[in-house]
Amino acid sequence: MHGIHDLGGMHGLGPINPEKDEPVFHEDWEKRAFALFAGTFVFGGYTVDEFRHEIEKMDPAHYLEATYYEHWLAAFEGLLINHGHITRKELDDRIAQLKKESH
Amino acid sequence: MLLTPDLVPTIVATGASARVNEHVAPRFRVGDRVRVRNHNPTTHTRLPGYLRGKIGIIEQDYGVFAFPDTHAHGLGEKPQHCYSVRFTAREVWGSLASDRDTLRVDVFDDYMDLD
Amino acid sequence: MPAHKAAKPESEAAIRVRALEAILTEKGLIDPKGLDALVDTYEHKIGPRNGAKVVAKAWVDPEYKKRLLTDATAAIKELGFSGLQGEDMVVVENTPEVHNLIVCTLCSCYPWPTLGLPPVWYKSPPYRARAAGDPRGVLKEFGTELPESVEVRVWDTTAELRYLVLPERPPGTENMTEEQLAGLVTRDSMIGVTKAKTP
Repeated sequence: MHGIHDLGGMHGLGPINPEKDEPVFHEDWEKRAFALFAGTFVFGGYTVDEFRHEIEKMDPAHYLEATYYEHWLAAFEGLLINHGHITRKELDDRIAQLKKESH
Repeated sequence: MLLTPDLVPTIVATGASARVNEHVAPRFRVGDRVRVRNHNPTTHTRLPGYLRGKIGIIEQDYGVFAFPDTHAHGLGEKPQHCYSVRFTAREVWGSLASDRDTLRVDVFDDYMDLD
Repeated sequence: MPAHKAAKPESEAAIRVRALEAILTEKGLIDPKGLDALVDTYEHKIGPRNGAKVVAKAWVDPEYKKRLLTDATAAIKELGFSGLQGEDMVVVENTPEVHNLIVCTLCSCYPWPTLGLPPVWYKSPPYRARAAGDPRGVLKEFGTELPESVEVRVWDTTAELRYLVLPERPPGTENMTEEQLAGLVTRDSMIGVTKAKTP
């Protein structure tokens, strides 16, 4: 797929601005997102290639602006729903519930 | 399988190699001059767009691996050789690029033809 | 001055991850303690000090260096480093004539057993785009300038091989121990954006 992820050689993306001495994870949720890869891979029924492709299908503007582990989160949601482990409704209902609780 | 804490060290130490233990005849040999195919699917591929149609030289045969283009879509491993292919910067990026620098890209059998 | 800091509102991503983890746990599909163990492993146990040991050994032991350049997976495993995202390793050597730079233009492939998890910049669009197309500009941004006579060789990690740069041993290090030498090997030098530190 010649999508937004196919970045080699693209111009105009700006400076790299590496962060000095950055931590392995910047937020607690990133730790959980990271661990969910292996955690879901062992039962999920999908390949690493399918996982990557799920990320490639993200909305291009969101892909560029999102932080790295948001890519993984988008992929998990898609893969787990497509492989029948959770439903869209289950996930949306729970997200809505958690949002209500945190306000 | 449920990933419990006791299983973590083994998973971490073993991983999941994409090598396929099957004998598949390679399409190319080290030293061959190849032209990357104009392979442009809307489905998953690991051929970067910048490489399409470019001429390179086979530098190393890494052996037989699962083919991402099929493996991403439940279409099987289609095991084939994966090679390190050398491209000059000028070949890939044009005449303004360095005339000394090079790129080495991992390219599958199905992405190339002999030039 | 306020007596306390207002709590940061939970981000959208944090809520989504919490929702996912909760549902999967309730269904018995994941074990949160398993996730904890994974986090602990990659936050505290696996990192670039592993790769530094590999490099330092190659600097002092010519036979090990030969093995490393011929069968990197096996040689790295000799030191106890192997597995996830490092199952098939290739080590590429910097010389006075060739400077190597590793990128994954298509995503973020990186040799976890030797370097740990990649930094944000390595996974971000600017590096992924420019390492391939303008490696000297990237090196310059990291403070590394190379003469035109040196070949910059960019390795795009498009398949399942994982790459590690063997930086040149800095001058003036003849009397250093292997452990001291490892201290000169930075993560950035094993990606290729810088050289190893000088003593």
